[in-house]
Amino acid sequence: MPKRTQNSLSREEIASLFHTYKDNKDPVVKNVLVGAYMDLVHSLARRFANRGEPLDDLVQVASMGLLKAIDRFDPDRNVQFTTYAVPTIVGELRRHFRDRSSAIRLPRGLRERSYLIKNAVQGFSQENGRSPSISEIAAATGISEEEVIEGLEGSEATTIASLDTTTEEGDLSLLDIIGGEDQTLKLLDERLSLAGAMSELDLREQNLLYLRFIEGLSQTEIAERLDISQMHVSRLLRRTLQSLRQNLTSSSGKPYTS
Amino acid sequence: MSKIVHMATTAVASRVGLNIDQADDLNTGLDELLRLSASESSRDKPFCVRYDVHPDRLEVLAEDVNASFRDGTSKVSRYRRFILEKVADRFEEKTNQGGSLNVLMVKFLKG
Repeated sequence: MPKRTQNSLSREEIASLFHTYKDNKDPVVKNVLVGAYMDLVHSLARRFANRGEPLDDLVQVASMGLLKAIDRFDPDRNVQFTTYAVPTIVGELRRHFRDRSSAIRLPRGLRERSYLIKNAVQGFSQENGRSPSISEIAAATGISEEEVIEGLEGSEATTIASLDTTTEEGDLSLLDIIGGEDQTLKLLDERLSLAGAMSELDLREQNLLYLRFIEGLSQTEIAERLDISQMHVSRLLRRTLQSLRQNLTSSSGKPYTS
Repeated sequence: MSKIVHMATTAVASRVGLNIDQADDLNTGLDELLRLSASESSRDKPFCVRYDVHPDRLEVLAEDVNASFRDGTSKVSRYRRFILEKVADRFEEKTNQGGSLNVLMVKFLKG
């Protein structure tokens, strides 16, 4: 007897629906798939309950994640849909909390524009293997270049990037994935003769500096390697440089301008 | 103030065809110079940035930078120079007739 999955559909039936949806993008088929996985949506949304957001809102956010997962899922790969969907839905929920917990609340329009820009940057970078220019972002999003620049700076202003935050599609924190101890990190320290100041940085922060300034990777390349957005890399680098600067000040015992 | 500088730099960089990584590089370098200037307690002059667009390059010149930038012995100074070396395709210091210091960052345009 075929193993039954959610909503009384067998695995075979689900697989068949995914193939059908991949071929024709039929919204009726999509609705059936959504119905089949709503229990999963509720379950994941409940994990984030009691954090100040109504459960109904969280279910809506998680549902958005499910829709994205259905759209992006490739049934030809030998992977269970839930394996793909769970990180996507959890990522959507985390993004919801992250966006709502900005240190500075941006006007809704600017916030949406920043989100649009971020997606466009990610999409463009993946497609072309390089960072886009402002005009390319403007063309991709349909907003003006001035609004793109405003949106880029706006997004920088709101987020307190933490190396402890989890990545968009997993349970690992950025600290976990940036890397382990690397002897070549000493190069950075030796190059700068910054013993003391460097050692006060977290090992992963040192790695971030190493990737950018010794290995010479662009922010986009670092983003790809760490599976985070270029804008996130930009924020983390600025924060790490700020930490290094502060460490230098305190280690030298002199004011910054010494 | 840094946001204004960032936006202006990003806008100019975009106009000459640099991508957002390259614009961010220039902003990182300018951040260092801006902080250096902002930390001068006696500073009563504006922080001036000049953008020169050439057919093959963009030059960003921070004018009248704190002379402590010249100090090649302190860790902070070495750090600052290192960052500028890395984010710019070329960077140089220019001493003016009056003794003040300008710092130039250059990004070459490809194609």
